[in-house]
This record gives sequence, C-alpha cells and structure tokens, in this order.
Amino acid sequence: MDHNMIALLMFSTMLLMMVTGQRVFGAIGFVAVVAALALWGQGGSAMGFSAVMKLMKWTPLLTLPMFVFMGYVMSESRLADDLYRMFHVWFGPVPGGLAIGTILLMVMISVMNGLSVAGMAIGATIALPELMRRGYDKLMISGVIQAGSSLGILIPPSVVLVLFSLIARQPVSELWLAGAVPGLLMATLFILYILVRTKLNPALAPPMPPEELAAVTRAEKFRLLRAGLLPVFIFVAMMVPFLNGWASLTEASVIGALAAVAAAVVKRRFTRQVFEVATRQTLAITVMFMLIITAALSFGAVFDGLGAGRAINDFFLNSLGLAPWQVLVLMQASFLVMGMFLDDTAMLVIVAPVYVSLAKTLGFDLVWYGVLYTITCQIAYLTPPFGYNLFLMKAMAPPEFTLPVIYRSVFPFVLVMIATLILVMVFPQIALWLPQTVLGR
Amino acid sequence: QDTIKWRLQTYAGPALAEEVVKPAIEAFNTIANGQMEIELYTADQLVPTSELFRAMQAGTIDAVQSDDDSMASPTEVTVFGGYFPLALRYSLDVPALFNSWGLKEIWEEEYAKVGIKHISAGSWDPCNFNMKEPINSLADLKGKRVFTFPTAGRFLAQFGVIPVTLPWEDVEVALQTGELDGLAWSGITEDYTAGWSKVAPYFLTNNISGAWIGHFFANMERWDALPAHLQQLLQTCFDQSHYRRQWWYWAGEAKLRVEGTDMTLTSLPDADYAQIEAAAQKFWEEIAAESPLKAKVVEIIKKYNDTMVKAGQPYRYG
Amino acid sequence: MPGWCLAYIRLIDRVTLRVGRFAMYLLYVMMAIMLFSSVTKILHMPAIWTLEMAQFVLVAYYMLGAPYTFQLDTNVRMDLLYSRYSPRGQAIWDAFTVFALMFYLGVMLWGAFDSTVYAFEMNEVNPTAWRPPLWPIKSIITFSFLLMLLQAGVHLIRDIATIRGVKI
Ligand code: NA
Ligand code: NA
Repeated sequence: MDHNMIALLMFSTMLLMMVTGQRVFGAIGFVAVVAALALWGQGGSAMGFSAVMKLMKWTPLLTLPMFVFMGYVMSESRLADDLYRMFHVWFGPVPGGLAIGTILLMVMISVMNGLSVAGMAIGATIALPELMRRGYDKLMISGVIQAGSSLGILIPPSVVLVLFSLIARQPVSELWLAGAVPGLLMATLFILYILVRTKLNPALAPPMPPEELAAVTRAEKFRLLRAGLLPVFIFVAMMVPFLNGWASLTEASVIGALAAVAAAVVKRRFTRQVFEVATRQTLAITVMFMLIITAALSFGAVFDGLGAGRAINDFFLNSLGLAPWQVLVLMQASFLVMGMFLDDTAMLVIVAPVYVSLAKTLGFDLVWYGVLYTITCQIAYLTPPFGYNLFLMKAMAPPEFTLPVIYRSVFPFVLVMIATLILVMVFPQIALWLPQTVLGR
Repeated sequence: QDTIKWRLQTYAGPALAEEVVKPAIEAFNTIANGQMEIELYTADQLVPTSELFRAMQAGTIDAVQSDDDSMASPTEVTVFGGYFPLALRYSLDVPALFNSWGLKEIWEEEYAKVGIKHISAGSWDPCNFNMKEPINSLADLKGKRVFTFPTAGRFLAQFGVIPVTLPWEDVEVALQTGELDGLAWSGITEDYTAGWSKVAPYFLTNNISGAWIGHFFANMERWDALPAHLQQLLQTCFDQSHYRRQWWYWAGEAKLRVEGTDMTLTSLPDADYAQIEAAAQKFWEEIAAESPLKAKVVEIIKKYNDTMVKAGQPYRYG
Repeated sequence: MPGWCLAYIRLIDRVTLRVGRFAMYLLYVMMAIMLFSSVTKILHMPAIWTLEMAQFVLVAYYMLGAPYTFQLDTNVRMDLLYSRYSPRGQAIWDAFTVFALMFYLGVMLWGAFDSTVYAFEMNEVNPTAWRPPLWPIKSIITFSFLLMLLQAGVHLIRDIATIRGVKI
C-alpha cells in the first residue's frame, strides 16, 4: 500500500478509536504500535517505548505537575473566594456585572495557573451557585465559565505554550509574554459581548438588588480590594525571577507552586484535605497528560516515518499553489475542525510538528504562530462534540445544565474567540509587541 | 524490481543537517537511480538520540550518522568518538589515524561485535567554547553551565564547568532562557549555522580538540543484504560527505573569525592553556587504565601525536 | 466469578494502590531537587546531577502513578456516545476495546523489557557527564507497564462481572 494511504488510514482509525470511549491514550497508542509493527516488524516494538525516553529529556515537562498542583491548591483551598466576593461587590450593581466579574475572576485565576481545569473548578463551585441565585440565564452562566476558564492557557503561565515551545523550539518566555495581550483582548471582547447582550435583554443578567448592595459598607468594599493582591503576589513571585533569568523555567514553576501553598497557609486554608486532594489530583492530571503525549509521540514518529509530514508539506506548498497567508488560514481552519473531534494534547504532538515546520517554511514568526495555536486550542475546548471544558462543565455543574444547554451556551463565546483569532492573525503585533518590548527581540 | 528503502537518522538538527548530510544523501539517491533510496531524518525525529543505537540494532532505523559519544554506543571505543580532549589538532588527523594508523580496523571490529557495520569515519569541526560572557582565563569557566559531549564534560568538570546534556534542538532556547551559560560543542562555523552565535556571542579561540570524530553506521544485516555496488556507493558517498565537511569547516572557521560580525573572540593566557593540555595527558592515562583496548587506542594516539611533534612545522607549531 | 479472579483483583488492586500512593508523594521530591538546584546555583556551586535526577523522578512519578489512575478512572475518554450507555452497555463495550489498550500496553512492556535487558547487559549509562546507570529507571518503567497491563486485566474481569450481573 502507498505510504500516504497508510497514513490516512492511521489517522482515520485513530479518530474512530476515539469514539469507542476507550481511554484516549490507549486509542492513539494502539494505532501507533500496530502501524509500527506492521511497517517495521519486530524492530517496531521499540518505537513506542522510545517515546518514554524522549519525554524524559524534555526538561520543561517538569513544570507540568507544578502548574497542575498550583491550580489545585488554589481551587481546593478556596483561595479565590475573596477574589470573587470583590468582583461581586464592585461589579454587582452593573447589569451583567456578575458575569463580567466572573470573566475578571477567570483572568486573575489564569494569571495564577497554566491550565483551564482550575478555572472550571473555581467557576463551578464559587461563581455558578451565585449566578444561579441571582437569576442569571443558564446559557449565559455556562458560557461565561467555560469561555473564561479557557483563558488559563493563553494568559501566562500556560502549560499549552510550554508544550508548544517543546515542539516548535521557541523560548517559553517569549511565548508566554506573547499570550498576555491577546488573552486580555479576548477577555475584553467577552465583557463587551456580555454588555451588549444584557443591554438588549436585561432579563438574562439581573443586577444586584439595591438593598443587598446597601448592606455592604464602604470599608468592606475597600477591604475586599486587598484580595486582588493575591494573584499579583503569585504572579510576581514566579515571573520576575524567571524573566530576569534568576531562576530557570522549571525552578520558577516550583516557586509558583510554593507561593500558592504559602498563600493558602497564611489564610489558614491549607488543610489535610487540601493537601490530599491537590497531591492526588496532580498525579491524576499529570499522568493523563504524560500518557497521551507518550502515545501521541509514537504516533507522530510513525506518521513521520511514513513521510506523512513531507506529503502534507508538499500538498500545502506545491500542489495547492496558494499564497502563504492562504495556507495559514487553511491550517487554522483544519485545526479548528480537528479540535472538534481530537484531544488537544494529541493534536499538538501529532499535527503541530507538521504545521510548525510549514509555518516556518512560509516565513511566519513561530512565537506568533504559537499564540494562534493556543487560541485554537481554547476554541477546541469549547466546540462540540468533544471538548475538555464541555466535559468538565457536565461533570461539575448541577443536573439542569444538560448537554444541549452546555453545547448551545458556548456558541457566542466561540464566535468571540474566532474574532480574537482573526484579529491576532491580521495584526501580529497584538501578540509580538510585549515580548519585543520586554525582551528586545 | 522494488526500490530498496533505507531510513537514516542523523544526530544533527535540520539547519545543520542541510549542510553536513543532506548533500551526500541527495547524491546517493541520484546515482542509485531508483535502485535504492535513503530517507533522511534529523535529530530525535524517529527515535531520541539516546535510543539511536538500539533502534539501529533492532532495525527500526537502517543507518545512522553520529559520533560514538552522543549516541552512547555500547563499545569500548565510544569514549574516543566525538571530542577526546586534545588528541587531535587538525581535521586531517582523523583520516590519518583511521586509515594509516590502524583505528579503522579497531572500530570495525568493535562495532561488528554489537551487530553494527562501521562504514566510514571522518573529521568534522573543532571544539571551542562559545559563551554568553567572555572567557579570558581558566577561572572564568568556573561554575558555568555548558552544553557539551559526555566525555568532554567529564574532562571539563575538573575546571569547575557544569556539563549539561540536552537535546541538540533545545540548546538555542536554553541559552536564551538562562538554563545554559554556553557551549563546548563546535567550531565557529556551526555556531553561525545553528544561530548560536547570536545568543552566545563570545568565542574562545583555544579549542579542546582540533577536530571531531564522527561516523556513518548501518545495521549489519541490512548492510549485508545490499548488492556490492550499492555498498560501494554508500561507502563512497559517505566518504565524500566527510570531505565536503572538511573544506566547509576549514574555510568557514577562518573566514568567520575574520569577517563574522556576531561573535567577539577571546583567548586564554598561554599558561592557562598549558594547564588544560597537561590535564588532557592525565585524562588519557585515566582512560587507558580502564581496559586493554582503550590502552591500545591511547597508545596509538600518543605515538601519533609524538610523531607529529617531531615532524615539526606545519604538523605542529611549538 | 471464580475465586482466583477475586483473589487476582484484590492482589493487583492492593499493589496498584500502594505503588500509586507512594508515587503521589514523589511530587515533593521533585520540588526538593529543583529547589536544591536553584539554591546551589545561587551559591555558585551547582551540582551536575540535579536536572537528570529530577527527570528520573518525573518519569518514576507518572509511570508508577499510571496504574493508580486506572483505578481512579481519571484518564480522559472521548465519551460522547459511551457516556450515554447503561453501566452494562459500557461494560460490554469496554470488554472489547480494553483489548486495544492491552495490546498497546503489551507492546510498550515488550519494548521496555528489551531496553532494560540491554541496559543491564551493556551496563548502559545516561550519555552525560554524570553518567548514571539507566537500569534503575528502565526497570521502573518496565514494572509500571506490567502493572498497567495487570490493572487492565482487573478492569476486564470487572466488566465481565458487570455483564453477568455479578457484583464484586
Ligand atoms: Na495561565
Ligand atoms: Na472540541
């Protein structure tokens, strides 16, 4: 059989295997090792294992458990409670204010962790009950929490950008800084959308009743502002040593994790229970990531061994005869479609190496491309039928948040994200200005 | 008749592979005219460099371009591959030692024992320091985190250098993010080719080895299965590849020292360099003591250098 | 269900739990190594072993922890259809697809075992200046894949029990 056919077969079998509901890493790994054995006989048996040794040398992966741990310490010790209360009190009187407050809370949480899981957990436990009590529309609640928490991977620190840095071989510091402005831009657009939407239909997001507002004293209002210092403390403790070169990326991630613990200890919330859950869940999430990456790496290596990467490159560059930006649009569009069905980590390890080399050949800035990729991942978290945030929402929210509600709720937010994606594509400086200014590249 | 397909993975990343192996592969594929085709893979593409040797033994990969040291060959001679400190002064020392002084036979025999065909040894670039901060004395090296070869790292540790081993492709980023202070990996040509000259702009002119020993290897069964004319063609193309590298480096090193704009040159005081040379002699003895075969290779290297010194200029100055 | 099945499940579950709980705390060992690394770097006496050691511990952490996450069932599934089935439906489905998982784990075990034997025979060391032997970490990886495979067997038995309507 022709190599391109085998590659195509591998890819479609993998998608099919995913639908079986077997564990994602098992589905990908199975296709990878079957193909390796079919192609290379006994020699192929080492292929899957090689990925484990390769991962061992990917030093920045050491940050993964640290960032996951940080997120769990934060959500489990309810460090964000005061933070939410602050936004509640200050934005409550505005129509849609609590939804806006939730987005701002998510920005703050994003500054303190590198995934979207912590945001989802905090959103579902703190923001959701309050928004429900306040009579917000279910679609609005579900959409705000899912979209807001996805900012965690765009606003630094970001685990997705660490993984991208390993694939694209670009400095994490530049990638993180490049994600900051687009992340804030996206948050701003979310808020604009909420404002417009509530202006048109105030019933979706009723403001805080005046009598409840009157109960909050001025002193209380200003006391709550102090809660905003927490994210600043954690962010500074981690990023300043890193950006100044005093601590390496891996060391900075440890500092970040310990800063989160310190904050929880100071607030007397670092209980045995928090310690246990954070430690166990960190293992669970780290294992999940590592097993998927291991399987996807073998898949990618076999895929590459078949020359599929070259074939795709050739197809985009020579067969289609398109201009570079047209190729870029096609790549992003295909990423969006794949993101609907594929796990984003798998997508990163299998597809991104091909696309990154394409982007490089076309002369695009890979730091900028990393930001585009991350926004695509955020969208993938939200687009039905398969998406992390969709699953997490279903798992964490009360039963009246049915799957159809969850699916429908993300729609407007996905449009806002695509708008951000297009803005960053058209104006690369939105991403590149900050790293260029700070690091002088 | 079906085309024979081989997969060859090099230790080099894409930018370097473009110069140091791709021309030879393209030449081979052209002359083989459809009878055989080699697909080239760059560092870590199919298997990680640390598993390269086993992958070649198992037949996942048919052939490999690498030095013995970075691919961790399980042979007695591994320590001499790459940069054995100060054993070589010029690039011609490598073919001289292999073809006239008997190293080729030793290598072939050692690799045959582990199921690998040693096809061809060649000399590649010298090993200089290129650093983020200028090195003006031996003391300046103390505490620096330096990306280097395992054996070179063992040797350099006595001067306070902290040797670091990373995937080749991560080096540039590690220099930018401060995980590395510099490299003891290559000559100036490679520094410019890999883009390291921009991130580690100080070049120390004193090298710790005047040339690198690198090879082409193949899985023995796959090699034996080839018809004689294709074996000969492989041999010739790989030999030619070493030759191409030789002039590419020789011309590049001199030209970039004089005309390169990225890097500032610094040198060690003679007394400091003499200290390194003396330490190298001691290091040779330590290695020789490890096994009879290693002692045999060290003996050849010593005799060779002795002869070169006695021959005087232009073989050795001073 | 036959008695040996129950004994097997009990044994593997217990081993997995013990190993997993141990692995869980390696997180703090990683933190300690990296903190030590930065402190010694600030004091201008960096050690050559910290980064490699941290890498080894990371591998041991997620490898030894992996069988435990089978028990916790925290490995992500694309479960749009799957989640709509009844528990029995899921069990039937799983009893088939688990063989794909077992095949993958089996090949990984094969590769890991070969590589470990090689590490012992050749006295393989990490190609770095520190040159630590590789057999310890490779043995850990081999053991982990074996345990994952055995744990997948536990799931298969449980699924069969569910299909038969037996409670274990
Ligand atoms: Na973040
Ligand atoms: Na999706």
